[in-house]
Amino acid sequence: MQIFLNIVSAALAAIFIQNIILERALGANVLLYASRKKEHVIGFAAAITYTTTVASPVIWIFDTLLGKNEYYGFIMPLLYVFTIALIYIGTLVVIWRFFPSFFKTLRKYVHLSVFNCSVIGALFLCSQQGNDIFAYIGYGFGTGIGFLVAAYLLYAASERLNSKLVPAAFRGYPIMIVYVGILSLALYAFTGYSTSAV
Amino acid sequence: MENRLNLKDGLIKQNMIFMSGMLIAPVIACATTLMKSLAVCFVFSFVSLVTILVCRFIPRTIVYTIRVTLYTIAAAVVYIPAALLANLIFGDAIIKAAGVYLPILITNSLILSKTETRFYLEPKGNMAKDIIGFIIGFDIACTITGALREFLASGKIAGAEIPIFFTIPALETTFGGFLFVGIGAGLFRAVYNYRKAHAADEEDEDSLAEYAEDVGEFLVGRHTHGDKEKIRIYKAAVKRAQSENDLLEMEFLSNRDVLAAFEAIVSEGQELTSESKAEDADDEGDETETTGKTGETEGGTENADIS
Repeated sequence: MQIFLNIVSAALAAIFIQNIILERALGANVLLYASRKKEHVIGFAAAITYTTTVASPVIWIFDTLLGKNEYYGFIMPLLYVFTIALIYIGTLVVIWRFFPSFFKTLRKYVHLSVFNCSVIGALFLCSQQGNDIFAYIGYGFGTGIGFLVAAYLLYAASERLNSKLVPAAFRGYPIMIVYVGILSLALYAFTGYSTSAV
Repeated sequence: MENRLNLKDGLIKQNMIFMSGMLIAPVIACATTLMKSLAVCFVFSFVSLVTILVCRFIPRTIVYTIRVTLYTIAAAVVYIPAALLANLIFGDAIIKAAGVYLPILITNSLILSKTETRFYLEPKGNMAKDIIGFIIGFDIACTITGALREFLASGKIAGAEIPIFFTIPALETTFGGFLFVGIGAGLFRAVYNYRKAHAADEEDEDSLAEYAEDVGEFLVGRHTHGDKEKIRIYKAAVKRAQSENDLLEMEFLSNRDVLAAFEAIVSEGQELTSESKAEDADDEGDETETTGKTGETEGGTENADIS
């Protein structure tokens, strides 16, 4: 029961309090692309959730074994990228072998959804926030769901944000970023905020 | 002229922060002070430049799935000396304050997307200039953002106090970063659109002509087309590859997709030409048969095919 609660609380923190997009801005450029189509929203979120959840116990092992090394911070990205690469290639080989038609669909954007700021950033955040392997897994899973929430909120508004009512210079990317900023501001209701000037 | 045009594309037209939004996470969440934004610029420039130049030597015969993995691993290796140098230059406090936003630079779109869709399609000299343009464009935008946010949020620049009547402390936050970059991008685009509408577009056309010519030579060197024809085919290939791959942004297209579309368009054009030539030849054949010179015509065609 304690294990389950650890996973759930870490996941909830990753979704609502430390949302990968709205609180950390990690993978904001991928969000802009993913939010254009409903299937992209689901596809990207599924790929990110899968990668971060599967990678999180592996990086827990790295962190536990090497965490006290003085230079660990410099080689962390390399170890994390290796982990992601192995998961990416292994999964693609399995899909290519057993689900060739699904592989064709996946090929278009799978590299974008795996090698991006949100996946590697989520693993770094796992490392910062997680205490044990279950917190790592919960945080990894919650990160992907947090991406899904942010991407769906942007997708729901994307038609209006790209309408002719928006001035031409702001249409598309600029107004979407402003909108995500407003969503991000709303998220601060959960956490509150303080600045160095306050 | 050539240098200026190459640089202009990455600096302004496709600026990574204000025009295309290719790498905005570190700018939104980390570039809250001048020093932190300079640290981001240093690591980004070092990692991107070295990785892209080194990865040019990765054979194109390797499948894209593996190639993109190798790019990321190479970037992670290059990150080690970049982070050590940044630590020496900016100090431990700044690097720790930048947090996860420095290592995530190894997965930036310049390395993972632009290499495939742009840089590796160009001759090496042009590619180097083009990369530098994109990097300088990012560095300038990131530095200005960091300096302005620090000034407006706390009335300081690089820690030095500057008199200001009001401050906007929320600019230090992530949502402040989103709003700042979003509004900055809108204003940047408005100025760009205004200038574009009021200035002659000759320079842009020249730039595109050079780019399409390079791409054309690289992709279908054996075909001979005029400059305008190459631009037309290149644009058509990008559009076709976008629609076939269900994508809106060119940066998400792979070189292979554009190449396939390019080749398809060129071969369709050749088929049309050869069909019309065949029709002409039939007409000529009819004429030669009547004049008794069929053997010469057949022999000529055979030699042309062999050569």
